[in-house]
Amino acid sequence: MTENNLLSLIIFAPLAGAVINWLIGGRLKNETFSGLVACGTIAISTIVAFMIAFGIGTLHLGALQDGGPAVVLDHLWTWIQVGGFRADFGLGMDRLSGIYACFITFVGLLIHVFATGYMHGDKGFYRFFAYLNLFMFSMLTLVLADNFLLMFVGWEGVGLCSYLLIGFYLKKDEAREAAKKAFVMNRIGDWGVLIGIFLIFGLTGTISFYDKSVDGVQVASALNIFARLAQEPFAWGAIFAGGITSVAVLLFIGATGKSAQIPLFTWLPDAMAGPTPVSALIHAATMVTAGVYMVVRCNAIFQNAPTAMFIVAMIGAATAIFAATIGLAQNDIKKVLAYSTVSQLGYMFLACGVGAFIAAIFHVMTHAFFKALLFLGSGSVIHGMHHEQDMRKMGNLRKYMPITFISMMMGWLAICGIPIWAGFFSKDEILYKTFAAPNLPEPWNYVLWIVGLITAVLTAVYMTRMMWMTFFGTERFHDALPEEGLIDGSDEDVVDHAHASEEHGDDEEEHHHALPADFKPHESPWTMTVPLIILAVLSTAGGLVGVPYALSNGAIPNVFEHTLEPVIAKIGQDSHAPIQTENKAPAEVKHFYAAAAPATGTEDGHAAHSPEEIRNERLLAGLSVLLALSGIGIGIILFGKTPLRKVPRILEQKWRVDEFYNGYIVDPITRISREGLWKGFDVGFIDGIVNGVGHFVAEFGNLVRQVQVGFVRSYAAFIMLGAIVVIGYFIYFGLKLIG
Amino acid sequence: MAAPTNKKMDFITENLLTILILLPVFGALATLGHQMFWKQESHLKWVTLGFTLVNFLVSLLLLANKGAATASGFFFEQNTPWIRAINTNYHVGVDGLSLWLVILTTFIMPIAVISSWNAVEKRPAAFYIFILLLESAMLGVFVSLDLLVFYLFFEASLVPMFFLIGIWGGENRIYAAVKFFIFTALGSLLMLAAIIALYYLHTDATGVGSFDYVTLLNSIRLGNLTFAASTGTFLFLAFALAFAIKVPLFPFHTWLPDAHTEAPTAGSVILAAVLLKMGTYGLMRFCFTLFPDASREFAPVFIVLAIIGIIYGALVAMVQPDVKRLVAYSSVAHMGFVILGMFSFTEMGMQGAVFQMLAHGVSTGALFLLVGFIYERRHTRAISEFGGLANVMPIYATIFVITAMSSVGLPFLNGFVGEFLIMVGMWQSQALAVTATANWNYIATMAAGMGVIFAAVYLLWMMQRVLFGKVSNPKNKNLADLSYREIGLMVPLLILMVLMGVYPKPFLDATRESVVSIQKGIMEQAGGTVAQDSKAGEHAAAKAAPHN
Repeated sequence: MTENNLLSLIIFAPLAGAVINWLIGGRLKNETFSGLVACGTIAISTIVAFMIAFGIGTLHLGALQDGGPAVVLDHLWTWIQVGGFRADFGLGMDRLSGIYACFITFVGLLIHVFATGYMHGDKGFYRFFAYLNLFMFSMLTLVLADNFLLMFVGWEGVGLCSYLLIGFYLKKDEAREAAKKAFVMNRIGDWGVLIGIFLIFGLTGTISFYDKSVDGVQVASALNIFARLAQEPFAWGAIFAGGITSVAVLLFIGATGKSAQIPLFTWLPDAMAGPTPVSALIHAATMVTAGVYMVVRCNAIFQNAPTAMFIVAMIGAATAIFAATIGLAQNDIKKVLAYSTVSQLGYMFLACGVGAFIAAIFHVMTHAFFKALLFLGSGSVIHGMHHEQDMRKMGNLRKYMPITFISMMMGWLAICGIPIWAGFFSKDEILYKTFAAPNLPEPWNYVLWIVGLITAVLTAVYMTRMMWMTFFGTERFHDALPEEGLIDGSDEDVVDHAHASEEHGDDEEEHHHALPADFKPHESPWTMTVPLIILAVLSTAGGLVGVPYALSNGAIPNVFEHTLEPVIAKIGQDSHAPIQTENKAPAEVKHFYAAAAPATGTEDGHAAHSPEEIRNERLLAGLSVLLALSGIGIGIILFGKTPLRKVPRILEQKWRVDEFYNGYIVDPITRISREGLWKGFDVGFIDGIVNGVGHFVAEFGNLVRQVQVGFVRSYAAFIMLGAIVVIGYFIYFGLKLIG
Repeated sequence: MAAPTNKKMDFITENLLTILILLPVFGALATLGHQMFWKQESHLKWVTLGFTLVNFLVSLLLLANKGAATASGFFFEQNTPWIRAINTNYHVGVDGLSLWLVILTTFIMPIAVISSWNAVEKRPAAFYIFILLLESAMLGVFVSLDLLVFYLFFEASLVPMFFLIGIWGGENRIYAAVKFFIFTALGSLLMLAAIIALYYLHTDATGVGSFDYVTLLNSIRLGNLTFAASTGTFLFLAFALAFAIKVPLFPFHTWLPDAHTEAPTAGSVILAAVLLKMGTYGLMRFCFTLFPDASREFAPVFIVLAIIGIIYGALVAMVQPDVKRLVAYSSVAHMGFVILGMFSFTEMGMQGAVFQMLAHGVSTGALFLLVGFIYERRHTRAISEFGGLANVMPIYATIFVITAMSSVGLPFLNGFVGEFLIMVGMWQSQALAVTATANWNYIATMAAGMGVIFAAVYLLWMMQRVLFGKVSNPKNKNLADLSYREIGLMVPLLILMVLMGVYPKPFLDATRESVVSIQKGIMEQAGGTVAQDSKAGEHAAAKAAPHN
């Protein structure tokens, strides 16, 4: 445990950037200024994050280095302290948050640079970067928080920024609708996190992530306490028992909201109404993986709750395949990528559910590289196509946008899972761990593995379809759409710098611009292509940090796994003495993870790989490569020659999930609230009684007095008079008595 | 040199609360005199503003110069006989519970005055006189330690508000004003009966009748004054009803939307920020301490009503076509949280409740101001009349979003701290039975948590329709953004929202001692019940966490 006050600079630099852009940038309206402030502050964050993570220029070894501190802490102030409850504003960087902080700041920096090109000419340029910096502040707070409540601050903060950025194009109706939907769906999930935090506090009396001492007060780590508890048996009833399984399920509800899993996934594709850099940064690389981060952060809780783990794996696998089928049928380039993101997030939760937490984080990182690349590439395409997002109007773009094309090809190879590209190692690791999952009741590990494989094929198919529709085939820029498009998602407020014209002006109402007859797509400026190239390199080579032992035979050390190992709790085998418990001693409990321990948790990992396991893993890897290639083949056969081939309508309509939610949940609640509660109960019943009584009294009064005093205001005057008389009486009496 | 200053300061310190109550009365007299002799109506607002601002500054002395607490735990205490015949005293004092409420009152009043800078067209003198008298009455409510004096202030606060709504209100103002008056006056009549009953009970028990809160409390705590169970229940309910209507607690809430909607902006702001808190303050100050047994007994009822209020208020707010009515219903939901926290009888819940009173005062007050701004421009409050205001009024939209987020309970803004503490307190609460089938405290908290989701729905949906999208109504095309006066009005509120959210410590620390003493008073007197409760608690803990 080390203190380092620089840590807070990582989060406060972007906050300062947001404030400066808001207060000063708003007046200057100078793109160079706003862009420099935004990128500069993120650059500071990036440098500091890498410094602390790798011990550059600091007095100790880095948080990610062997022999370095287990966690670097920075306590700022005690936020809420009431009774036994304590929440600090304190940051901590351990192996997990260190990796997260590094890739968030680095990918964030690239996307900020890209956005200076993409948003060029937009009236709200400064506002965009203020929001984007605020997002970076929230996201970094989320991962660097040293307790649950501060993590929740970041958790809600990224939700707010996502809301603001999705709704960035103020005039677009679907943008404001999507923004609200995103926030509300996230809020539903947040309910789970909030209740989960209550339960954690109720069970352990603390919400801290780390054992630490602040101002001489010892604060215990809730996670360590959970790690020392006995594992709960597998039983559905455990979900409602108020124990560890309940905590895990509640937290996972939050994760389904933030990370767009079934049933709360429908906001993410709609969120594509925001500017494309936002889609890349928030809705692909960082924010949506916050759910995965939380699950891995709480792996001590999840490992002790096998029921919850099973749910996580099931939801993850179901989301992966479900979203992939929808991705097959979308015509908006960003929608394809959005559903692909949902699907890939499903993989990550599948990994968490089978106990392969390191593989999940590995996939988070590689996915951040290749999905950010694909989104930025699509942004470059959209930019070059003058804000046309419909792939049916593209085609043969490789001729016009070679850099974008080549970098996107790298992303395509990565997501399809072709060896040596980053996505291959992480996805293959997840599939193998699912196959070998020790915690799933048989034959569920095989079922989920097959689901994962099918998803891999589907992924290759829809990504190939997207690439071929966009970059190959004939040019369809001037073709009329075959039917009235379902998509309305063009970034209309962005005035293209090269072709600025009245039709892109502020009051423009139409969504689809007819492209001029002499239209030629163009390659994007360097601010956009350089980030693309860097991300393409990372998507290609970035997976080499985590090559599984079986595939390299130990020739390439698995740095990633080695780095993250200390973060994964070895439940039941903690070095601390087990705390007093009325339950069975940990040793007596059968651990599902006992079998998994060699794969994930031993000091000397290599010895643990048995020849049989290695053979299995190689076989399965070969199989998944084969399937990926066949997926690409299917994609080319189906869509290579006929890019506009019809796909099943139900897929195009996204399985009609939105319609279901609206018809069976949203509408009934609204109707009951309006007709039943408000007009029925409030106005009808309660006010009816009150008015009825009033009416009765008035009638009665009429009968008795036969004197109609008249206007209501005179009643009031009488009451006032009465009050004055009473008060006057008391005062009179008082004076008399005193005097 | 120093000596006279000290003397002057002593005089102010000793009479601080009296000065706070009387300054607005002098202000009202000054306004009246100014109107009679100068007939310069444009001066009146300056006079009023001056008095409210000075009163605010004076009230800050409560923080700067705490003085010594008396044996009863109150600061700045003053106790002067008033009507000897019935042994009633002018007894005032402030403690942690009332401290911030007094300052909230004096803080909101200048804002309310500035908010109606150009809005008062008819009878400005009367308007400002009522505003000032209202301030006196409200301050009196929060500092009175004599039940009869408290009752008089409690009733007195009704009158100016009644006229504010009835004269300067909207189209349906008479109905709203009368409804407001009847609802609240009915409740407090029962309270008067209970106060008189307490007086005679004390006479029977000790030979001396008393309206004095501290005396009564000591008699009860020392066991000199005991009630039969039914008497305690009646007295508790009589008090509680008056306060529950004021809060308002479901199902006594229907006066609130009408009153809020019809009241002028200043009236709505004061009503939401301060007047409603008189109910929750009263419950905590009087019901909890004087009738701890009945409070415990009825806690489940109040908790259930609070939760219904939270969800009901939010659902009904969601479907309101009128912006102001929407905010009014959101008040019902937020005040439900306050009740919930109080009746959890845990330090966290009760501290959260007190904090939430302040937070709600700030953020809902701000929301009513914001609604007032567009009402002044368009003279309509219908949501359907607006749309796309962010395009023409960007500053307004920004402030609106921040305020709404504070109301939604976004962390690092004020609403979150209170609601979180309330729910964490409820989670740990023993106010509800733990039965074999369920931990009702868990279920109560989870239900209350649903209200947090709905809060996001109604406010975001309203913002979506009012602020975002295209400017669909041509009447909104040329609306002016906020003036410097209006921005200046909002800035202190925005600062408070952030400050209370990021660094709530000074607020929580100041209230801790008083709240803990009230909480202990309830839980310690429980006697046998405590043992039973803790057993139940252990049971719950054992069930939930085997390691405990």
